[in-house]
Amino acid sequence: MSTFRGFVLLCLCLSLSSCYRMKTSKGGGEIGTVPGRSISVADILLPQGYKIELVAKDLTFPSEVTFDASGNLYVIETGYCYGEVWTEPKLMKIDAAGNKSVIAKGAKNGPWNGVVFHNNNFYVSEGGALEGGKILKISPAGEISTLAENLPSIGDHHTNNLVVKDGYIYFGQGTATNSGVVGPDNASFGWLERRKDFHDIPCGDLVLTGQNYESPNVLTEDPNDKVLTGAFSSFGTQTVPGQVITGRVPCTGAILRVPLDGGKMEMVSWGLRNPFGLAIAPDGKIYTTENAYDDRGSRPVWGAGDVLWEVKQGVWYGWPDFSEGRPVRNDEEFKAPAHHEVAPLIQKLPNEPPKPVAVLGVHSSSNGFDFSTNAQFGYKGEAFIAQFGDMAPGVGKVLSPVGFKVVRVDTETGVIRDFAVNKGKRNGPASWLRSGGLERPVSVKFDPQGQALYVVDFGILKMTRQGPVPQQNTGVIWKISKM
Amino acid sequence: MRNHLGIVLMAGLITAQIFWNACASRKSEPVKQKEFSAVDAHVKNGEKAFMTHCQKCHPGGEAGLGPALNSNPAPQFVKRFQMRHGLGVMPSFTKEEISKGDLKDISAYLKAWKKY
Repeated sequence: MSTFRGFVLLCLCLSLSSCYRMKTSKGGGEIGTVPGRSISVADILLPQGYKIELVAKDLTFPSEVTFDASGNLYVIETGYCYGEVWTEPKLMKIDAAGNKSVIAKGAKNGPWNGVVFHNNNFYVSEGGALEGGKILKISPAGEISTLAENLPSIGDHHTNNLVVKDGYIYFGQGTATNSGVVGPDNASFGWLERRKDFHDIPCGDLVLTGQNYESPNVLTEDPNDKVLTGAFSSFGTQTVPGQVITGRVPCTGAILRVPLDGGKMEMVSWGLRNPFGLAIAPDGKIYTTENAYDDRGSRPVWGAGDVLWEVKQGVWYGWPDFSEGRPVRNDEEFKAPAHHEVAPLIQKLPNEPPKPVAVLGVHSSSNGFDFSTNAQFGYKGEAFIAQFGDMAPGVGKVLSPVGFKVVRVDTETGVIRDFAVNKGKRNGPASWLRSGGLERPVSVKFDPQGQALYVVDFGILKMTRQGPVPQQNTGVIWKISKM
Repeated sequence: MRNHLGIVLMAGLITAQIFWNACASRKSEPVKQKEFSAVDAHVKNGEKAFMTHCQKCHPGGEAGLGPALNSNPAPQFVKRFQMRHGLGVMPSFTKEEISKGDLKDISAYLKAWKKY
């Protein structure tokens, strides 16, 4: 072999090994055989001086914890998971030994995504994948009353975390679609067959560019049948330049609020794709974590990082034409490989989107979070964020698992540092690493004294080309405190 | 002789590439068991700029949407060139997006993070 031929071969090897398009996806959920859930605190790494303990296990899709006035621990199970798996939503008390007792059960309308305890009642956000989202009030005896209903939650994203402030329940409401256009990806979620007329709803009037997207008509048997679909319109409905979409409340992709006793719903902020986490900082400001765009559907957006935002009254945050406060339209940074640059949908912006507090990992699914308020625990004032982890390949390809850990964020500088990760040569969920560590942290909550951080671990969610395959009875609650 | 040289060169570089891809790139505080603190203003500013522009695809310098940086042996000027001009699916960043000063500070941060 000549030196020249060897060099050519070498160049080929190097170029192939570093070519993004040639590489296969290596998401944390792409695990092949599903192992059983083993638990080992020794498989979790924390900064020096901290310890982690198991609080409860064998939960099915747990999403958030809260504490009553006496400091007792409660958890909600969602009752729904992507993959169209329906179970019973539950509010449960967890005793010191990790035993569970059911306080209340919900209907087949999960996922129950958020819970807070306030003035001797629980408030729960019911995701509403089947009948629309609800805000529920649950007494300590388990009586459920509805404060708000018919929220537009039957699409890709649901009614999310909630907080109580100044006599109002603030909650996040996700969008129906990935980037404003209903397409075949929404059929894969399962909802397009059920609700052919559903689409995103803006909170305020929007003037459209009239951009339409051609896709296979997944609602007919004919594989050659195509449809054109425009923004904020039902599948197969075209839009025209200058068309005005009238805004209304409740809308999708927003932070909304209702009075604690129910009543008129108000928009707080909008233009957020899936504002999942919601928390109040020690200075009283509200923050949200936004799950950003996926590389899927008729209008894929690539390389969009999840965002920690400060929630400001009346502000539009940029969805579906901005990400991280920057335009996705006609920008190579957000162009999905093998697709055209992302075309704009909105002719006139409601306002210039603000700057993010922090930009988190693409597809990290940065979800529930809380602020440290106690100097004894450390990192006082910083936001601790649970990263559920990527859902590749459904959300797009990743070269290595993203998320599956707890990070902390300095809200002044936007600097992100790992706080709780799994041991191993690579980052990833326990099922991927074949260890007993963290699987999919979905939320974190400090105890009332701020001395311990409770991590809600959703459990194993296998990802396949056909969709998610969640594993029941694999959810866990962990507790992190100073040694 | 030339044949042997070519084979040795190729084998060496392929081994280096495999090592580059496989070697551990984890650098976070829980992994290192010590806190990272920026040694000077350039590293501090570089960390902030990295968080704004790079972290989302290379979280903590590890692989994610993009490849790992922590174990990438390319010299900093090559990485700066790549940031400015892009390569493959990696986008380019103009001077308006990342200033010359910030670009150098990102290099300073990456070097400090690599040594951490």
